[in-house]
Amino acid sequence: MPVILLERIPLPSLRAYTGFSVVLLACALFYAHQVVLNAESVGLEIPVVSVEQLDDGSFNNNEIQYMNVSLPYDAYVWNMMYVMTAEAWCVWTLVNTAYCCLILLGKLVQKIVFGELRVSEQQHLKDKFWNFLFYKFIFVFGVMNVQTMEEVVLWVAWFTILGFFHLLTQLAKDRFEYVSFSPTTPHFIHLKLLSLLCVIVVSCCGLLTVCGLVGFQMGLTIFAFMAAECLLLAIRTLYVVARYCLHLTDMNLEGVWENRATYVYYTELIFELAALSIDFGHHLHMLLWGNIFLSMASLVICMQLRYLFYEFQRRIKRHKNYRRVVKHMEERFSMATTEELNNNNDDCAVCWEKMETARKLPCGHLFHNSCLRSWLEQDTSCPTCRLSLNEHPVNRDPNSNVPDNQNREVPPANPPGNQTMNHFFHFDGSRYVSWLPSFSVEVTHTNMLANHNRLTPAQTSQLDNMARQVLQVFPHMPLNAVVDDLRVTRSVDFTIENILEGRLQAPPPGTLLTRALGEEETSSDDSDNYQTASARADGVDIDQQDYLEIPNETGDNNGSETDNERSDTLSQFSGRFSKSANERETMLEDRKNDMLEIARRRFLAKKSDDNSLSSEETEEASVSDYSDNINTSSASNSGDTSDTVRRRRELAYMAATRRLGQQTYDTSIE
Amino acid sequence: MAGSALKRLMAEYKQMTLNPPEGIIAGPVNEENFFEWEALIMGPEGTCFEGGVFPARLTFPPDYPLGPPKMKFTCDLFHPNIYSDGRVCISILHAPGDDPMGYETSAERWSPVQSVEKILLSVVSMLAEPNDESAANVDAAKMWREERDKFEEIAEKHVKKSLGL
Repeated sequence: MPVILLERIPLPSLRAYTGFSVVLLACALFYAHQVVLNAESVGLEIPVVSVEQLDDGSFNNNEIQYMNVSLPYDAYVWNMMYVMTAEAWCVWTLVNTAYCCLILLGKLVQKIVFGELRVSEQQHLKDKFWNFLFYKFIFVFGVMNVQTMEEVVLWVAWFTILGFFHLLTQLAKDRFEYVSFSPTTPHFIHLKLLSLLCVIVVSCCGLLTVCGLVGFQMGLTIFAFMAAECLLLAIRTLYVVARYCLHLTDMNLEGVWENRATYVYYTELIFELAALSIDFGHHLHMLLWGNIFLSMASLVICMQLRYLFYEFQRRIKRHKNYRRVVKHMEERFSMATTEELNNNNDDCAVCWEKMETARKLPCGHLFHNSCLRSWLEQDTSCPTCRLSLNEHPVNRDPNSNVPDNQNREVPPANPPGNQTMNHFFHFDGSRYVSWLPSFSVEVTHTNMLANHNRLTPAQTSQLDNMARQVLQVFPHMPLNAVVDDLRVTRSVDFTIENILEGRLQAPPPGTLLTRALGEEETSSDDSDNYQTASARADGVDIDQQDYLEIPNETGDNNGSETDNERSDTLSQFSGRFSKSANERETMLEDRKNDMLEIARRRFLAKKSDDNSLSSEETEEASVSDYSDNINTSSASNSGDTSDTVRRRRELAYMAATRRLGQQTYDTSIE
Repeated sequence: MAGSALKRLMAEYKQMTLNPPEGIIAGPVNEENFFEWEALIMGPEGTCFEGGVFPARLTFPPDYPLGPPKMKFTCDLFHPNIYSDGRVCISILHAPGDDPMGYETSAERWSPVQSVEKILLSVVSMLAEPNDESAANVDAAKMWREERDKFEEIAEKHVKKSLGL
């Protein structure tokens, strides 16, 4: 790529370049001044201009003779201008000065409108610049096959102006996309960007007039070449303006704008297709007019044509898909009635906004028209329950990359041991300390999958969600009982009511465990059974059972205490949601720091506990009799042993096992 | 278009702030770009990651929630389902259609009804229960299966490191 090669060229800094240009311009002016003064004082005798310099093809001999004879004007200013434009190096100085001014102007616009450029913007700008340079070079020397210097200068001037606006548009587009990522952009930034875009559009109109004037003299071909470039620029700029306006309207609109997505889609479609077709025509014109089928230039143009063609095709294909989805949707999914909307009293699951109107899927889920459509463009299942919505697979676009298994119904039952449904499994992550038997979610899923029809997976996530809410209020309730009840009531409120009124009661832990496991053993008061069951449920080997058992038992006893403690510490993490962006930012930062601080403190406390206790009670927790220890402690804990002592022992035990593990690890290394 | 994604992310941010799940904090890295979030996840209790506070980056696509975000831990974490560069490999983060491991059903994949909260909760459960059948980090999966002690030791080291201790 030309971009990579050209990027390596070292460019002087803007300051140095400006300085150099100013000095050069000053020299040229001084020189012209001298020439004019001399001519006036000596009486139209002019120092001979060095012919070698002028003879480089840019100026013909007529002018040189002219200069030898006299200066044509009387006024000083006109003479100055004459000398400046007549002499080659002065002309180049002027050109250089013009470029310098343009760059400074660009810099100024950037400073005023954009401020500091982001890295990706700079990168895009560079890419765009070198690409533009490369293609215009091909155009001027490959296609137009320009011969004389004047023509080159004119084309270069034209493309410079065009390129300048292209770069500004690119910058504005990047910046707009970035600004649209934030909800809190100040209004004056929008204003600045939009006015810049408007200036570009107006300038485009001016350039088009220039095209017309030039075309009038030079013929239709030149006009077509120039106008195509102009139109492309105008379309790209207008596209950004249109998107910008849509975005601003959307952001400032309260509530939901139902047809927004449609407007956005069609704006995109029209502008993209227009730009692509003009670009395509322009390149085709170049190829045919230039009559250059066997050159590098034709190769480049053909590549570009191919790319444009594929883009065009892709866009059309996407549009067909869009039409198909819309048709499919309108045919098969009716709009929800007001009654259904009222009953639903939930927001659209895709955009989380309120639903004024909605489409209803066969599975009963409601979504906004536009939300559903944009999802169906890429998938053919209900977002909530994954019910396949495609009953005519033949109609499916064979090129869309929706895999075949989208068409299959959700399998009626997952194979046992499939752990896929436990998304909400460890919500509080407290397997051993808490009241919540962690394994029950998994088991519940399997039961549900086995017993219910194919719509069940849909509700598992919702049920889980609801169950979590209930458990936040009633932590002592077993999860599966709550889920069972939720399946009947289908409402958090009703279930909570049921619990409050005692219709739903927490069974004793033993029965809970066996129920959850679905095992035949009913003798739950047998402690051996109890232990094995829980160990197996956790998927842990039997020899680790004791190790795991300790915290589990403590959890049963002082679960409520740890609970309160935890909710105290963690409640500070939740905050208020401020309207001001800065405040939100600092509050989030504070919450993060708090969390880290608490975690650190907890960790250190645990560590120090560990260390002090393990050294005290090493003998006690020696390897041979640790199980005895645990048994006595757990047996006596209901009686006189206080919680703290028991806890210490556990910690000591854990430290011991860890050390044991360390030792075996060390010896194995040795 | 970024507009609807922005609104939805705002709603999610609000929800995560007002009613955060236990041991999880998430929000935009800065207010200028709502499509780049940082999340802090506390290691679930009772696992070898207990006590750690693990930072992760979430990067949302402009068409969110139609496409899933990408998630990457920015700290060291040795885990069967986390690539060595920190990327998280769970089915909920895979768009319907792409299936890197080749056996997930579409029901487990991303859908617009998922949310940041649900992703992070899945990650917590993933930390607690590695799925060593679809390992992203094969070494970690092997160690998890065969040398649990060693695995836990590494985990503890990372917990300590994540706390800056």
